Amino acid sequence: MIDVLFISSSNPPVNLVADTVRLLDAEGARVWYGGTVPSAGKDDELVDVPFADRHRLPRTNLRHAVGLPNGERVWLRNRTDSWLREKARAAHVIVALDNGSIYTVWQLARRNRAARAVFGLSPALASVRELAREGGTPARGSSLPSPSFIAQETLRVARELPASVARALTSRSIMRSSLGAKLWRVPLRAPGVPDRLRVATGRRVAEAMNWAGRRSGAAYALALTATHISDPATKAELLDDSVQQELDRGVVPEHLGDAVQALLAHADESAENGRIDAAAQSLLRALMLGFHRVVHIDQLSSPLAEDAEAYVKPFHRSRAMQTVATTRGRVRPAAPPPTDRPLRLLVMVRANDHFLPQILDRYREHPGVELRYLDLAQHRALRDASSAPLRVLKERLGGDDEYAETVERLLRPHLDWADTVFLDWCLAPSGMLTTIDPGDTRMIIRLHSYEAFTRWTHMADFSRIDDLVFVADHVRDLAEVVVPQLSGPQAPRKPVLHNAMPLNDFARPKTPDARFNLGLVGVGQVAKDPLWAVEVLRLLREEDERYRLWMVGGDMPHKNSRASRNYRNEMEKVLDPLVESGAVLRLGPTDDVAGKLVDLGFILSTSVREGSHNALMEGAASGAVPVVRNWPFYADKANGARTLYPEGWIVETPAAAAERVLQVNASEENWHDNGKLASKYALSTWDWSVVSADFDRLFLGEQK
Amino acid sequence: MRETANQFAAQGWDVTVVTIEDESWELDSGVDHTLSEQVDPRVNVVKLPLRREDLETDIRGYSAERAVDPPQWVKSLRERNAESFPEPTFGGWRGALEEAVLRLHRERPADLLLTSCVPYVSLAAAWRLWEEARVPYAVDFRDGWSIDVIDGNIAFGRDSAEGRWEERILGSAISLWTVNDPIAEHYRGHYPEYADRVHVVRNGYDADSAPARPHRPDPDSGLVFGYLGTATFPTNLLRAVLEGWHLAREREPLLANARFEFRGHTGNGSQRGTNRQVEILREAASDGVSFGGPVAKADVAATYGAWDALVLIITGGHYMTSGKVYEYMATGLPIVSAHAADHDATNLLQGRPLWTGAHDVDSESMAASFVKAAHMSVESTDEQYAAAMTHAHQFARESIMAAAVKNLISELQVRKGHTQ
Repeated sequence: MIDVLFISSSNPPVNLVADTVRLLDAEGARVWYGGTVPSAGKDDELVDVPFADRHRLPRTNLRHAVGLPNGERVWLRNRTDSWLREKARAAHVIVALDNGSIYTVWQLARRNRAARAVFGLSPALASVRELAREGGTPARGSSLPSPSFIAQETLRVARELPASVARALTSRSIMRSSLGAKLWRVPLRAPGVPDRLRVATGRRVAEAMNWAGRRSGAAYALALTATHISDPATKAELLDDSVQQELDRGVVPEHLGDAVQALLAHADESAENGRIDAAAQSLLRALMLGFHRVVHIDQLSSPLAEDAEAYVKPFHRSRAMQTVATTRGRVRPAAPPPTDRPLRLLVMVRANDHFLPQILDRYREHPGVELRYLDLAQHRALRDASSAPLRVLKERLGGDDEYAETVERLLRPHLDWADTVFLDWCLAPSGMLTTIDPGDTRMIIRLHSYEAFTRWTHMADFSRIDDLVFVADHVRDLAEVVVPQLSGPQAPRKPVLHNAMPLNDFARPKTPDARFNLGLVGVGQVAKDPLWAVEVLRLLREEDERYRLWMVGGDMPHKNSRASRNYRNEMEKVLDPLVESGAVLRLGPTDDVAGKLVDLGFILSTSVREGSHNALMEGAASGAVPVVRNWPFYADKANGARTLYPEGWIVETPAAAAERVLQVNASEENWHDNGKLASKYALSTWDWSVVSADFDRLFLGEQK
Repeated sequence: MRETANQFAAQGWDVTVVTIEDESWELDSGVDHTLSEQVDPRVNVVKLPLRREDLETDIRGYSAERAVDPPQWVKSLRERNAESFPEPTFGGWRGALEEAVLRLHRERPADLLLTSCVPYVSLAAAWRLWEEARVPYAVDFRDGWSIDVIDGNIAFGRDSAEGRWEERILGSAISLWTVNDPIAEHYRGHYPEYADRVHVVRNGYDADSAPARPHRPDPDSGLVFGYLGTATFPTNLLRAVLEGWHLAREREPLLANARFEFRGHTGNGSQRGTNRQVEILREAASDGVSFGGPVAKADVAATYGAWDALVLIITGGHYMTSGKVYEYMATGLPIVSAHAADHDATNLLQGRPLWTGAHDVDSESMAASFVKAAHMSVESTDEQYAAAMTHAHQFARESIMAAAVKNLISELQVRKGHTQ
């Protein structure tokens, strides 16, 4: 009998494993399976595979395995498993089913030198057939581990001894006590400690604190270590790790500013010494941390909104960043629209075409326009090139001419064809698009809102853009502060155009109960702050229990960030009893918003920030009375919700919102009149029949 | 390559083929010894001990570094390979290939070197021999290099490392072969100065792979659709085909008990015969789908002979042909196209009876094509079969290669005339 041991560290392809086991069985082999099976469903499927024995390997990583490559982590948690050791000693063929289990097989094969050790199902079958052909199996346990193996193991134990001692002194129980955790800060601060030892100690303490559940303490230990380190690269790395740990937890890191400064300093120093790769890497990390969604997007406030100028100053002061932001302009200005043939308009997007249908429909049919549509996500080479921030930075720093050549090759045919390019969303593709001189093609990018809080606007060269279209004045104001290129001599024009929305269909008669139903349409982001709406509802229900809140739209995706998840968890806790009592209705996502709005007498905008809040505009068009929170990100600025909407719609607090609802609802007639006015305003201001003229002017110029 | 070598031998040349060892082929795409048996015995075959390290499956041969983090190790290997030659998978073979070619030339001076890609690193050996001994060379470029035949984009610019190599190689080559007109046009447009060197040499089919008149379909015991080829197409393409098959079986009584057999090599290294595509095929077993592994060359005709219709699954578009299409055409069986409508295979199939037409690949269009092919298989006439075979005959590999080799020899003579 030939004994085969399969080892897996992830979900195996069950059908193929089953087929192979049957084939091995036919060859006279029996198969043992040891696997870490993450999903219970797969575990059930494996029950039907005719293994001679099946065993679940440990799944919990050991503390000191954190940060090691996956293969080593798998081995560290498996190596003391008695079932595995016994089977590995007895097996004639040991098989790794995936990359993660290779190192475990490699280690086991050093302990059982007679066994074959292979990767993959077909090689397993081939090994067994070969053994069968050779007429038998080697005697088990005939070989001791190799001398080199014994030597290496001894060395490993010796090398790890101080670490073992350190681990004992940083055990979970000690680190969980505040005194224990604080004691460990002492050596991190101590003067005269060599950098290498200080870094090693700092990392060990951070690891221990993480292990003990003191997450912020771990981040603090790394940051504290960094303050005593002079080497810019090491300092930046420690602070980067410290901040990233906090971001992973959904927390705005205390040392974010220090980390950004350190990374920028390292980028500057690297660029000056000609180490372009390192400079670009550091710059990218600084941008990623500085403009991380946990800091600006998945929170109810943002340092950018509080003081944009101060926040971006370190970036603007960085010499490497100044090189990246140096405008390169264009050799020729954009040509005027052709007069002898239709305008060739290339609409470009990367996957998110949510705001484009009306524009595409109109200009596909327009006799004065020949339209092409390019979704960068649909073409492998364009998709890769349009999401290559490191290459964009390297190219700007003078270290990646090949990237510009690639972009030239991919985009030039499109630029040669188009008279005008319209890129929707000022995100990653804007960096790619502005890597090359567009020739005489007119370039337009539309920036909606959240892009102003991302790193992407810092990686585009706006001197190669003719028009940067905004959806509202307040977003434009913020972008101008954040990106100096938007105010310089080569700045693009910055027109403000409303989104393209067909609102006509929204004006439908309301149901009789609508006047007591508040609607919040779109609840999938933290910025929508649905809890603010709940507070409005609470205040209203104190006066009149007929008020209900209807929430329309998909929930906040769990994958966005831990910060987003934290908000959602909190929100669910608050909503559960309200849903149960019927005070809140959660309708989920729908394709028929207009149909849902007939039940809603009030439409809320409770967001902390918005570009133009389309759902509110649709609600207003439907005749629901708008109640708009003065979006806090922009409340104290020259422009904001206050200047975008009629002043009467705006409120500062939940109490003021409740008061507005009660006042409007003083009589059915009053509510009805207010709704009618709102609808009239919305249709005459934001309907596509009105806004389309602005787009015509944008693309085609003044029509005679 | 086998047919090319045989053709040179048939025309009286002394031919040496440089390749890699059988075990190395085994590790990669697999090896078919019945195919090697058809090599003219006069051809001398030199097998170099080169193998793709990234595909190694014997874990005892791994370093600790590789075992701990295989993806990172492979990444580093590819970077090292690319330092020798801009081809991450094979670049590291450059030195050994150059040495071997120089040694063979010293032992027995060559008049002509013909290199076939992939791998492109073999171009380096051709170049080295040209530089050191001025041995003229030609390149059988197959799918080309600077054009990405899957996406239809330019794969790299002329100033890139690959671009500089390609230009250098084309600059002194006496002839450049590509498998179809779109790729040839790409090269003629990209390098107008060398346009006259570019020739289309289609893959064609081996006459002995074509079955005799296929058996009569028997719907009662179930029609059998077949796919023979390398199963490396994208999984979303495969899923769309299988969804179409599922729908067709539900809708068409002729297909209710039909089977769909996949044969061929798939995956390499640790995934040989067990890649994601095979897993997807296994999941479709309840629809009569099966995967039967590779077919030896000697059994190809019999395999086709047992099927009632063929499914041509190919990725890519305008620039892609795939060798399968010729072999499929030569069976005389109905062909279901599962590829983009704008595809070079479409150009070849145009005008052939017993073809469903190409309609891009989604489950609905595939379902309609399967239904159409089912009817073709039971309703086709001898006349249609004869017309399909006549359509195929123009692509017999032996005559294509004989003409290409003759042409190359005369190009060589012209070149010699110029230099003398």
